[in-house]
Amino acid sequence: MTDHLLPPPPPPPPEQRLDPAFVTDATVEVRDASVWFGQKVALSELSCSFGPGVTGLLGPNGAGKTTLMRAITGMLPPNQGQVRVTGLDPRHDRAVHERMAIVPEDEAVPRGLTPRQLCEYVADLHRVADRSVIDWALHTVEMTHAADRSMDGFSKGMRQRSKVAGALVKNPLVLVLDEPLNGADPVQRHHLISLFTRLGAEGRTVIVSSHVLNEVEAMAERVIVIVRGRLAAAGGHRAIRDAMDDVPRQVLVRSSDPRRLAASLVGTDAVGGLRLDGDDLVISTVRARDLAVALPTHARDLGVRLTEVRPLDDSLESLFRELVR
Amino acid sequence: MSASTSSAARPPAWRPLLSIVRYTLRTSLPGRRWIGILAPCAAAILFGALSRSLGGDLEAEFADMAGLALFGLVMPVTCLVVGDAVLGAEVRSGAFTFTWMSPVPTWQIAVGRWLGGTAVAAACLAVAFAASAVVAGAGSHAGPVALAAIVGTMAYVAVFVAIGCVAKRAAVWSLAFVFLVERLLGAALAGIAQLSPSWLARATYVDLADAPERLVRDGVPHGTAGVVRLLLITVAMLALSARQLHRLHLSGSSD
Repeated sequence: MTDHLLPPPPPPPPEQRLDPAFVTDATVEVRDASVWFGQKVALSELSCSFGPGVTGLLGPNGAGKTTLMRAITGMLPPNQGQVRVTGLDPRHDRAVHERMAIVPEDEAVPRGLTPRQLCEYVADLHRVADRSVIDWALHTVEMTHAADRSMDGFSKGMRQRSKVAGALVKNPLVLVLDEPLNGADPVQRHHLISLFTRLGAEGRTVIVSSHVLNEVEAMAERVIVIVRGRLAAAGGHRAIRDAMDDVPRQVLVRSSDPRRLAASLVGTDAVGGLRLDGDDLVISTVRARDLAVALPTHARDLGVRLTEVRPLDDSLESLFRELVR
Repeated sequence: MSASTSSAARPPAWRPLLSIVRYTLRTSLPGRRWIGILAPCAAAILFGALSRSLGGDLEAEFADMAGLALFGLVMPVTCLVVGDAVLGAEVRSGAFTFTWMSPVPTWQIAVGRWLGGTAVAAACLAVAFAASAVVAGAGSHAGPVALAAIVGTMAYVAVFVAIGCVAKRAAVWSLAFVFLVERLLGAALAGIAQLSPSWLARATYVDLADAPERLVRDGVPHGTAGVVRLLLITVAMLALSARQLHRLHLSGSSD
């Protein structure tokens, strides 16, 4: 009851409000970073920071996620701006790599090596004293059964897991994962998501890129959206999801009676346009959430059975583009 | 992370260097690369047989053949294949990330890769060149030609490792170095020949084997001076490699 008597605390002045692209306890800071390759601008004056926990880096293919990750790890120097990891320049201070690891997206793994040999190599380079960490890392990514097989014949998912094991051997404070779920089957996907979430909960800075919002939602509380090399949005994944819900999209509906359903939906607020393509009903909407409520209600009232409802903008690229309009 | 901790002592500082050498030997030379290494070595033996078939003074014929074909062609091509494999090829494939993303000083990476590559190339070339001398009927030249191959290989592999750090298309630039800079410009300009592993190795061989002086390019140092210069080239190239590894742009295989 006392809460009602007390006046609410005044909002902080605008200059003190933290920009959602930044965190207070940053281990990785990116300031006005620009990277270009010839005429192509890959990153454009991008500023953001990353702290303990999992941060999702979301954007369509070619948005600049990989370039940002390479700039963070020192693999590429920004043409302008700066990157700092625990206050150090990753391009010039190799001590940064003591506690930073990257799992690159490309499938390249050292030829002829087994996952165990890769982990041993990483452990040697980092002068890891406790060699039991190698078995632990392989066990953690569920690669113990294939630990002594050459990675040359591995699927993409197995290669990714082997690389994650190699990264874990370093006991990294900052872990950068470029599309780590690519090629993983659903069970492995679930397992890796749990692993990354756990690593974040342990206080490590985990940066995970993906072009699939659902994946990022599953592991990251905070999301940074990059489109065409620019920061498009930042904040909690709910805020990002809300921002995306209000952009135009198309939804494919398959049902037992598409014509009756279409006739019923005409004029509904949530429906911007309708198209019947054979038995497929394609609905254009700018209010996806309202449509999600209206569609089953109309179907139930008409006695029409819905067999499939799915967005046609699978890649999310159109939604990303809307974010930067 | 829930890995158990133990009180095991931290491995010594040389452990990464040793590991890089071992890694280089394990990963850098797949089957196809071995063809690129062993084919020139086989050619070296064939050149020995060809030299013998010419008749006349077998040692003099072999010396001519060694100067022209072994040091001028077989050694640079073999070293190019190995030198590109130990660094340039891995940078291009994207797998070099695993080595680069470590706190190991870049000089250790450069030296480790060079040591691995040199061990393979020097062993193959020394055996092939010695065998070539024996096949040519110039058995007394087997030792000198093998020793000269070893010191020449040290410098050559260092040069190609450095090119792998500097250029994206390392194999193309390495070929240009051998055939345009060393062979073409080196034949015309003494200053180039004095810094060429091929010409210096040849001079070393001539000195060790008491081969005809005419095989030595004017101005190219003989004997110990030649070996010292090859070592200086090696050190300079490794220093350049270490410096360039700091500046390397690792943009991955997909870019």
